[in-house]
Amino acid sequence: MERRFPRDNGSLPAIYAFIREFFAANGIDAGRAWDVDLIAEELFTNVIKYGGASQAPVALDLTWAAPTLTLRLRDPAGGAFDPTQAPAVDITMPLQQRRGGGLGLHLVRKMTDHMAFIREPDGSTITVTKKLVGDV
Amino acid sequence: MFEVRPVAEGHVKLAGRLDAAEAERARPTLTALTGSVTLDLSELDYISSAGLGLLVETYKRLHAGGHSLRLVGLLPRVRNVFGYAGLDRIFTIE
Repeated sequence: MERRFPRDNGSLPAIYAFIREFFAANGIDAGRAWDVDLIAEELFTNVIKYGGASQAPVALDLTWAAPTLTLRLRDPAGGAFDPTQAPAVDITMPLQQRRGGGLGLHLVRKMTDHMAFIREPDGSTITVTKKLVGDV
Repeated sequence: MFEVRPVAEGHVKLAGRLDAAEAERARPTLTALTGSVTLDLSELDYISSAGLGLLVETYKRLHAGGHSLRLVGLLPRVRNVFGYAGLDRIFTIE
């Protein structure tokens, strides 16, 4: 199930609604959607941040093969930034010594099982998978 | 939908989703806070890195002035996000 969203933070409510629509269509407990909201928000805002001046909508695609959810974000602007290569955030450091940024991708790494990035001439795609298991 | 509601002197309630779209709306209220502050997060459904960043900014500012920032009433899923970010060891969470 795929939908395109304008590259603006104002798209976030529509993204959350899309995720809930997908969960309902696939009989997935809506209580598990919050984590997916967060993963989608962090990746979407990252795409906007590194997408330059492009106005091209970003496509969000969700697929479900129980118990694994796959989320793909396709950016026709194809930013060069590869989130899988972003430096790790050392969360054991005192707050004052932490470098700025990177926390969103850190959260995505913590909350997903796998993340991949492909850059092609006609755009880039970030794919993450997450097993929806355990207590809600 | 996000709301930030001062409920008493030094006591503010955050409710709804504190995401990248809403963090900027919350900023003026949190920036105006002075002294030691308790944030009631019992109605905060969701927080992302943008919201965490805003709370970190607030914490640093208050802490630099010798004041504290206390977080109370976190839902388990919100508390988990603080844990993933390593902020559960920095903030006073009750």
